[in-house]
Amino acid sequence: MAEHTRRTVLKSAAVTAGGAALAARAPAAAGAAAVSIQPAQTAEITLSVNGRRRAVSVETRVTLLDALRERLGLTGTKKGCDRGECGACTVLVDGERVKSCLTLAVMRQGSEITTVEGLADGDRLHPVQEAFIRHDAFQCGGCTPGQIMSAVACIEEGHTGSDEEIRQWMSGNLCRCACYQNIVAAVADAAGEVRR
Amino acid sequence: MTELVGRSVARVDGRAKVTGAARYAADQPVPGALQAFFVLSTVARGEVVSIDASAALAHPGVVAVLTHRDLPRLTVPAFPYFRRFLPMQDTAVHHVGQPVAIVLATTVEQAQEGAALVAVGYRAAQPRVVIEDAREPSYLPPPFRNLPNEIRRGDAETALAGAEVRLEARYSSATRHHNPIEPHTTTAQWDGDRLTLHESAQGVLATRTVVSAAFGLPPEAVRVVAPYLGGGFGAKGPVWPHTVLTAAAARVLRRPVRLVLSRAQMYTLTGHRAEYRQHLRIGATRTGELTSIIETSTAQLSATEESVFNRSDSTVELYACPNLHVRYEGVRLDVATSSYMRSPETTSHFGLETALDELSWQLGIDPLELRRRNHAEFDQETGERLTGKHLLDCYALAADRFGWAARLPRTGATKDGDEYVGWGMATETHTFNAMPSTASVTVGVDGKALAQLATQDIGTGTYTVISQIVADALGVPITDVQAQIGDSALPPAGMSVASATIASISGSVDQAARAARAAVVDLAVADPSSALFGAAASEVETSNGHLVHVRDRQRRDTYRAVVGRAGRPVQRTATVLNKAGHSYGVVFVEARVHARLGSVRVTRVVTAHDIGRVMNRRTARGQVLGGVTWGIGHALMEHTVFDRNIGRVVNPNLSTYLVPVNADAPPVVETLFVDKPDPASTAMGARGFGETPITGVPAAIGNAIYHATGRRVRDLPITQDKLL
Ligand code: FES
Ligand code: FES
Repeated sequence: MAEHTRRTVLKSAAVTAGGAALAARAPAAAGAAAVSIQPAQTAEITLSVNGRRRAVSVETRVTLLDALRERLGLTGTKKGCDRGECGACTVLVDGERVKSCLTLAVMRQGSEITTVEGLADGDRLHPVQEAFIRHDAFQCGGCTPGQIMSAVACIEEGHTGSDEEIRQWMSGNLCRCACYQNIVAAVADAAGEVRR
Repeated sequence: MTELVGRSVARVDGRAKVTGAARYAADQPVPGALQAFFVLSTVARGEVVSIDASAALAHPGVVAVLTHRDLPRLTVPAFPYFRRFLPMQDTAVHHVGQPVAIVLATTVEQAQEGAALVAVGYRAAQPRVVIEDAREPSYLPPPFRNLPNEIRRGDAETALAGAEVRLEARYSSATRHHNPIEPHTTTAQWDGDRLTLHESAQGVLATRTVVSAAFGLPPEAVRVVAPYLGGGFGAKGPVWPHTVLTAAAARVLRRPVRLVLSRAQMYTLTGHRAEYRQHLRIGATRTGELTSIIETSTAQLSATEESVFNRSDSTVELYACPNLHVRYEGVRLDVATSSYMRSPETTSHFGLETALDELSWQLGIDPLELRRRNHAEFDQETGERLTGKHLLDCYALAADRFGWAARLPRTGATKDGDEYVGWGMATETHTFNAMPSTASVTVGVDGKALAQLATQDIGTGTYTVISQIVADALGVPITDVQAQIGDSALPPAGMSVASATIASISGSVDQAARAARAAVVDLAVADPSSALFGAAASEVETSNGHLVHVRDRQRRDTYRAVVGRAGRPVQRTATVLNKAGHSYGVVFVEARVHARLGSVRVTRVVTAHDIGRVMNRRTARGQVLGGVTWGIGHALMEHTVFDRNIGRVVNPNLSTYLVPVNADAPPVVETLFVDKPDPASTAMGARGFGETPITGVPAAIGNAIYHATGRRVRDLPITQDKLL
């Protein structure tokens, strides 16, 4: 099939055969007129991750998340949904929490990126990491890197005034194991420590 | 040295998980691996008539597009592979979202883009995907794994007809999806006829069994590695087609292949909790004693698989009731095959515990008192006394902490601002399974211990509990113990499903460690260069890495010195099979219902559980916290929506399939435990537990909503619209 559908452009999570020729009454998924963007151009960029400058060659469409995981081998950052819904991929970009699946690597040149691998000071864990262990704020650990990065930013933003405020401001990070009460306790505890 | 088992011990894998060092299946570097992405069927019923891969193949980086024409013929494996067919073996399509082609490329982006460029033509027929639209009436499927789908006790119809009080109600719940945070992933690497899989698996050995069977290989030819799992909840217990197909693609292309499912693909490829209906008729005396229960449930089955995964164990055996008739029916629909989802028994338990609440209002008896009056002291099937069951203690503990005695027996009696406040409760129970387990414990020449077995840690704390057990049994610091699991090459253990892990492995780990300790003590007392030389083995104590003579404490040695002098590690193994059983508990909740918006908040929860010996307070509490929030999702928000016309899931993502977020979780959850070792358990007195603490939550919330508002909702989830 020669024509592209919108799905070619929108990096869809639900890849279905776009515009499949259906014999039955089921409508084709996307009937819009063809729009074509050439996605496969490669860019040589430099990313500054955890205080180190790293040269990397990426297609322009590569997300920061896939650049970190697949090109730089920094697999601490997790992919849970690839569409901004779960928070597992949260990293800090110039100190702000960003869902790395929703930003392109080529847009983040010149920014200072911090991942979960870059939080500890040598053998000394960051207070948020310590607090997560102390309060049992994880089970499977799949959401944990994202929770921790989000928590670091949440404290920095000053959104830890009360447990209720933490509950709200940590709600962008899903935990399917549902360690939420312990996450709130860990963030509150770490906030006290960071401010000291 | 104080025992570690039973205490609140921090997770030993904590550091790896908070630093990003823990390598999950998709984090494992495999040089030269191609990235795979599936093309999934867009129709629910029919067949593939054409596949045009030319555009995909022209896309930069795409190496191959494989279809049913390219894959080797494979054998459809047995349990725990469900579905009874393998996709991409022929042109038949049984549900939307069935793999019809695999695109392989150098990068993830290229594979994904390539998959979007494959054009597939279908011949398709009108699908039926919800129970309401079923083509044929429901029927009684044949027994699944030797479990009957019809259970009778006494004469239920006669007893119901003669009952002083009768209750009849219909309950239902929507399709749900597990949604672990880590998507399913497989990396397959062949070396001749040997296959290594880095797999997100709740059962490394079960995966080996299924995959080796599919390829007609001996089990030993396949090695499955899964040291960490980003959540499973049952979705990664069965082995699904994507694992087998990824291995097949790697075999065809003679290169390692990695597949990571997209979130959307997980809605048709990895099981779900089936849409469910339940018709309950209950007979009782005027004082609330149950005399008859008749239940017929109807589950959504798929076109190819007729197993019923959500059984009504609590209807059958939680309460004392002499007359019973339970039938598990199903209807065939053009949907992907369902399977086990955390706490399968929750599905029917909602109806049972809601019905008891309804009965309590009908009779004017406190709902907790009603449950006490029906407490089963004897096994309802065998008549044996249930020793080691402490459910009544749970009722007392949690009711007291919650302040249940102050409950007003009227609906709509309490309003706080814009919200009605209600209290509800439900009994909790779930079966747990037990599987044979072999563990090996080695004390090295450095005095450090290594425990090895092919179990898994799916987040429940397996690494930590193993380390506690070994540290206690040997008498060494927990920091000197390493647990190695999640590899099919290790001594055999069962799957981490059905709340079975701790109940299955603890005994074998303990016995192997005790045998290793005895062997080291024997070495010491026989070694002329040990201060313990000539002592009786029974006179030697071990603690904190030391071996000490009990009467003459100057005579001491260390593990490190004794094994070091012997010059080689001391290894012992043990095999234990525990018995399956039940865990019990109760949950009390306070819910608030907004008077105008119908929104529900769960603001306070108290639980008490009887799980035999509590192995680790902290991880056990974690299971309750998770279970309560799962129960909230089940009760109030989670539901998968199908387009009844074309058979597709319309909310295959995390922004429209709502799971609880932090702000949805109750701020206060008190978790109490009876903590009495179960004398029947060979797992150091522990029982399986992970699934129990969800079971009562949906009914307790529904019952609290009724108490708050007088509105009874029997169809889950109780979304806002149902309360307006
Ligand atoms: S992976 Fe980025 S938000 Fe889910
Ligand atoms: S710890 Fe498992 S998803 Fe959060």
